[in-house]
Amino acid sequence: MSSIEKHGDRKIVTFSLSHQTFGIDMQSLIEIREWEEPTPLPTVPPFIKGVTNLRGNVVPVIGLAERLGWEPSKIHARSCVLVVQIGDKQAGFLVDEVSDIVAIGDQEIQPAPDVEIGEPSLILGLVRVASRTKDASGAEDKGQMVLLLDLDALSLTRHLDLAA
Amino acid sequence: MDDIQAIFFEECAEGLAIAEQGLSAMQDGDVSAETIAGVFRAVHSIKGGAGAFGHAELTKFAHYFENVLDEVRAGRIAPTAGVTRVMLSAFDVLTDHVAFARGIAPAPADAAAIAALEAVLRDRGAESEDSPATVAIEEPAAAPVDDDPFGFEPVGVVLDDLDAPAIEEAPAAWTIVFAPSRGAMANGAEPMLVVREVEMMGGRIESVDISSLPSLRDMDPEQGYFSWTLSLPGTVTEESITECFDFVAPDSKVEISRAASVEQRPEVAPVSTEAPPSAPRLSLVETPPEDVAVKTVERAPEPAAQNIRVDLVKLDLLLNLVGELVIRNSILADRLSPADQQRVELPELARLTRQIQDNVMSLRAQPIRQAFSRVPRMLRDLASETGKQVTLETIGETTEVDKGVIEKIGDPLTHLIRNAVDHGIETPEQRIAAGKPPQGTIRLSAEQKGARIFVRVSDDGKGIDRARVRAKAVERGIIAADVQMTDEEIDQLICAPGFSTAESISNISGRGVGMDVVRSNVEALGGRVEIASTPGEGTSFTMVLPLTLAILDGMIVRLAGQRFVLPLANVTETVQPAPGQVKRTSPTTEVIDMRGQYFPVKRATDIFELHGAERPIEDSLVVIVESESAGHVGLVVDTIDDRREVVIKSLDQNLYPIRGLGGATILGDGSIALILDIEALVASPGSTSRFALKGMAA
Repeated sequence: MSSIEKHGDRKIVTFSLSHQTFGIDMQSLIEIREWEEPTPLPTVPPFIKGVTNLRGNVVPVIGLAERLGWEPSKIHARSCVLVVQIGDKQAGFLVDEVSDIVAIGDQEIQPAPDVEIGEPSLILGLVRVASRTKDASGAEDKGQMVLLLDLDALSLTRHLDLAA
Repeated sequence: MDDIQAIFFEECAEGLAIAEQGLSAMQDGDVSAETIAGVFRAVHSIKGGAGAFGHAELTKFAHYFENVLDEVRAGRIAPTAGVTRVMLSAFDVLTDHVAFARGIAPAPADAAAIAALEAVLRDRGAESEDSPATVAIEEPAAAPVDDDPFGFEPVGVVLDDLDAPAIEEAPAAWTIVFAPSRGAMANGAEPMLVVREVEMMGGRIESVDISSLPSLRDMDPEQGYFSWTLSLPGTVTEESITECFDFVAPDSKVEISRAASVEQRPEVAPVSTEAPPSAPRLSLVETPPEDVAVKTVERAPEPAAQNIRVDLVKLDLLLNLVGELVIRNSILADRLSPADQQRVELPELARLTRQIQDNVMSLRAQPIRQAFSRVPRMLRDLASETGKQVTLETIGETTEVDKGVIEKIGDPLTHLIRNAVDHGIETPEQRIAAGKPPQGTIRLSAEQKGARIFVRVSDDGKGIDRARVRAKAVERGIIAADVQMTDEEIDQLICAPGFSTAESISNISGRGVGMDVVRSNVEALGGRVEIASTPGEGTSFTMVLPLTLAILDGMIVRLAGQRFVLPLANVTETVQPAPGQVKRTSPTTEVIDMRGQYFPVKRATDIFELHGAERPIEDSLVVIVESESAGHVGLVVDTIDDRREVVIKSLDQNLYPIRGLGGATILGDGSIALILDIEALVASPGSTSRFALKGMAA
């Protein structure tokens, strides 16, 4: 990362999950797909929903909400799967709704307060993003807190290593 | 550069395989011109490439070897059994040199081999001094020197004649005439650098010919007009000299000669007269266009086989894409109305797609000879280490197998051969005492049966000593002392981890890892090892391997409604159980009565904790599978949907391996079905040693 950081040098995709807004680095995103019931796998943790066929590749689909400790997502019309690249592996994350793509500067990312216990934090940091549409009240734009996810920490094999 | 280097080593491996095959053929009495020329070409190519990459040791040794081969090829040395033997051991050293150049082995001791090669050359001098050197030139089939992928001009023939005897004599000083072509500098060559390089090796400029230098007005500063006469001490090797001139412009004249070599070596004269008139003495690189033409005529017709190198990754990508094409094809077919499906285009498209798939698959197939090629050498080493006499018979080496399989059976094959020599074949004395010929035979065979390849290593040795194997297994705690075992079960014990019957640990086998490794390697490939042994008559090990790693012949079954693929190779039969045929032996275990034999029954739904509607056993099917670890086991499935070949996709590419699953595949409708791993399914969970388990269970 270069030392000179200007506004908007990182693009993030924001999405909602259990009424929270999360973000991942746009660089890791391969594609966004519609939800399609994956083939369930035996003897895997419940947050691994199964595997799906992504252009001939067998890619696991992860219930991101469960993975992060929230209530499992309910499947609805806007449910979709973010296919991301983590290291040399691909994975699909089930999310409730994709919201936006925003540009942020690295200096805007605040470290997440260290409140999680047990597992290393899956949150890279917090960032405040201005709402693109004005609130219905027309009041001042307070923006919105986005939880930026640490994809490397979400790696499935990493979880395996930790479990071992 | 590393890439090119890698290609060079690949070619070395191929060259060595060709040379070995040729030499083995010569050993068996085939001394035809093509065979000898083939060996020569292979060694020559290795030398050429090694020179280009600066592997001095390899170049040097290959050069000695090539000298002898050249003489044999020219008919000046008869390819007697003795000569062939020397060449075979030289070949072994050459193999080691290649390994050294790759940095995967220490530098071999080649003094003895060089001495032997020199002796062969010397004897030729004594016996057949008069043999006309022109034979080499007049026999077109014998001079196909241009197999050099690096594009070096194949003029080594003359050079070698010069160099060979010189090794034995006190080295005379070198004289080099170097005349760069007019256009050399325009082509980016810099003659001055070449001259400096010669000087660095101790060379001296004797004279510079400036006669072609025009008047200053006509002179073009970008053209070369000078020619140099250089001298070098005789101790400098010819390779290092030729190396200096590797990168001169194509039309440049370079003549390298030993001082007074014409007087000392009259037999060179006939060769020289065949050389281009512009180089009345000995030429190294003399390449005016007409000269090339002459040489082309001399060359033997190249073998017609045309090959291109393709990265395996590209092939696999192609294979994946074709697999996708097949799937899309059937999805399309499903979506069309029945009337449209009947039209000719769709079946035609399906047929074409299938053909493309078959062809792409066949691209990965290679003759198994590649895996067999290193066996003869190994046997020679083993025979000399153990003092046993062994002959090798090879059958079916043209059988084609997936490249991935070939790469992975190398190690198991090595272990099996070592085992056969070390534990199977007896010493000559023992063999004579047993009424057998002193020479043992190892038969290496490959054949294809259906979708499986059978690679068998059999020996006519003493067979497996079952009493000793059993005693050892008890001693090692692998089995309990009072276990009843069949002969086959005892034979299988030698594949158990940590089992070795070697009385003392030799450096050949006996570390107690060999057979264990064979077994696990073969199983990792989706194959199995069969052992058959008759005391006093010999043992045979058969590796039963899948034809390809990418395709599996499978049965599509349903477990709790979900589709799974059961590898057909494991399936022996399928039954719909009659009432009472499946009985409980405990609250959690069941057996099935198969014509009076009781096989344990496992419910895959339990193993995988799948929750579907409970089906009465009579509505289910029981697939009897055969496993290495647990013998016959009945697996309860809901239904059988289909039988088809599926493309195996690994799960750990994007996830991690899951116990009980061998991978996944994409079905015709684009959905994924998981492939069951029978061995892992039937083995009791948590068992670390299946042999211990088996012993206790019996």
